[in-house]
Amino acid sequence: MTTEARQKGRKPAQIVDMSWDPITRIIGNLGIYTKIDFANKEVVECHSTSSLFRGYSVFMKGKDPRDAGFITSRICGICGDNHTTCSDYAQQMAYGVKPPPLAEHIVNLGEAAEYMFDHTIFQDNLVFVDFCEQMVKATNPTVLARAQKTNAPRGDIHGYRTIADIMKAFNPFEGEVYKEALKVSRTTREMFCLMEGRHVHPSTLYPGGVGTMPSPTAFTDYLSRLMHVIDFVKKAVAMNDDVFDFFYEALPGYEEVGKRRIMLGCWGAWQDPKVVDYKYENMNRWGKAMYVTPGIVVDGELVTNNLVDINLGLRIMLGSSFYEDWVNEDPFVTHDPLGNPVDMRHPWNQTTLPVPQKRDFEGNYSWVMSPRWYDQRTGDHLALDTGGGPLARLWSTALNGIVDTPYIKATGHSVRISLPKGASLPETTLEWKIPKWSNTLERDRARPYFVAYAAAMALQFLDEAMGLVRSGDTKVFEDFEVPDEAIGCGFHEAVRGVLSHHLVIKDKKIANYHPYPPTPWNASPRDKFGTPGPYEDAVMGQPIFEENGPDDFKGVDIMRTVRSFDPCLPCGVHMYTGKGKTLSVTHSPVYGASHG
Amino acid sequence: MGSIRVGRAQARPDTPSHVPGIHQGNEGPYTTQRGHHRDGTADARRSTGIDWKQHDVLLDVMPNIPPA
Repeated sequence: MTTEARQKGRKPAQIVDMSWDPITRIIGNLGIYTKIDFANKEVVECHSTSSLFRGYSVFMKGKDPRDAGFITSRICGICGDNHTTCSDYAQQMAYGVKPPPLAEHIVNLGEAAEYMFDHTIFQDNLVFVDFCEQMVKATNPTVLARAQKTNAPRGDIHGYRTIADIMKAFNPFEGEVYKEALKVSRTTREMFCLMEGRHVHPSTLYPGGVGTMPSPTAFTDYLSRLMHVIDFVKKAVAMNDDVFDFFYEALPGYEEVGKRRIMLGCWGAWQDPKVVDYKYENMNRWGKAMYVTPGIVVDGELVTNNLVDINLGLRIMLGSSFYEDWVNEDPFVTHDPLGNPVDMRHPWNQTTLPVPQKRDFEGNYSWVMSPRWYDQRTGDHLALDTGGGPLARLWSTALNGIVDTPYIKATGHSVRISLPKGASLPETTLEWKIPKWSNTLERDRARPYFVAYAAAMALQFLDEAMGLVRSGDTKVFEDFEVPDEAIGCGFHEAVRGVLSHHLVIKDKKIANYHPYPPTPWNASPRDKFGTPGPYEDAVMGQPIFEENGPDDFKGVDIMRTVRSFDPCLPCGVHMYTGKGKTLSVTHSPVYGASHG
Repeated sequence: MGSIRVGRAQARPDTPSHVPGIHQGNEGPYTTQRGHHRDGTADARRSTGIDWKQHDVLLDVMPNIPPA
């Protein structure tokens, strides 16, 4: 059922308001308010809203910049380390310090374990609930009947005979895949802790390096755990391909679900220690050397992979958010270190001025702002999405065709990932090909492929890190001084997509600090031009395949679309607790306590 | 800060992170313990084992790395 076909045989609309607030299985008070036309089985309107305000950018002001990584880590309870890493990148630019190569490898290994952990637990324990036997039975019984008769094409890899068998394994709390994924996410979390000390708020990551003891045992412990989960990764990719291919086949037109114009952003992940120097002037060069290549992909074309262009194009818009505009405040940064002008709507110049008010879908309705990327070619403010993270990362890396490592090769149209032999499965090469659409199923499909990507990168980082340890180069920290005045920006990939931290230091204190994680991009409301945010855009106009009517409607197609973005709102909103009460004030170190 | 009301700033970023005369952890015990080198590298003598000063590699072809 294509869009045109739907328009031809239209029936008189039968519109029902349907809302989910808060959406379950995610955190952060995300509400989705829709109008559904049950006669034509289509969503006609969608608003995404958040009722949570946190104000990190407000209370970061005046703090010691060295604390930024530890404070911003608390933005999220699942990807906090991505914030620490990104904050350290921004601070390293501001302090002018480059960590030793072994420290970079340790950070990269920790982040690789985080991607593996988080994608696995989200996909297998949260996303698959929407695709499990029980859910499909309740929403599309005919599809389940067909699944019972359809053989799984990759059954020799994952061991399930029919598609319905896989769906049964997805059942929450009792399915095999569900339980196995919980075990795997424990192992990957252990890998993470070996490198970054603690999950999810790292204790051994600092600007200038790490505090991890680079003992040979730390790396071999990591490697043995990685090899333990490598067959699970190969099976996960095969299982996902089988299930998602089946959905296209069983429900013709399912590609329209959650489909939106291809507008993807990726800020790059994993620094190459041989190239990176954290100088803004060289950001284009070291950005391209990252092991996930940054890029903005519009309509399938690569617009830019230059981090300087990406940085300067950032615009934080208002329009439907509970904030006052900051245009009348003083700018912090008028020009970047290369002399390019910096816009007033850029995160470096943003001032957060919250104005709590009643939710009104005709006016302001969310605490999330509307980040957009200004496209110089057309003058448009693009509402980029992250495709839940993996889709944009793989798409940008594939189109760039730069990454060429012993385990990963970007070909220009695909990404080839080689994984070594595991306990039960042989050496395997997986190939993620650029899909035709940016839609729900492709966002979900990209996730297990990125787990494989992270596993393959981890193998390379281990090789290089152990090489350094064997040569006796165990330096993991570089000293630095905090300058009186400086600016910095960090670009990284949080698990669910783009992450940037923008920092301005004055008098050795934070004068302005703005983290922009993936969910403000994905969950943004309509901006001042009326452009809807990616969730709204993806849900609006999507067909409904659920067989239930308005009375027992579960909204599974809408939930699949929203969850395909890996929504996670704590980072999306910028706490006000009245007068508050101070419990204790401490400041380390003890030897400096007499000061002031 | 515009019209937003915030608490009194309490951070004192000028508090010294190091007091002169006190050993600085990042420096490393270059003069007091063998096995720690000024360029950040270390060898097999960087150990907490028994009689570590003697536990250097026997031959140049052996990997000279700290035990843990």
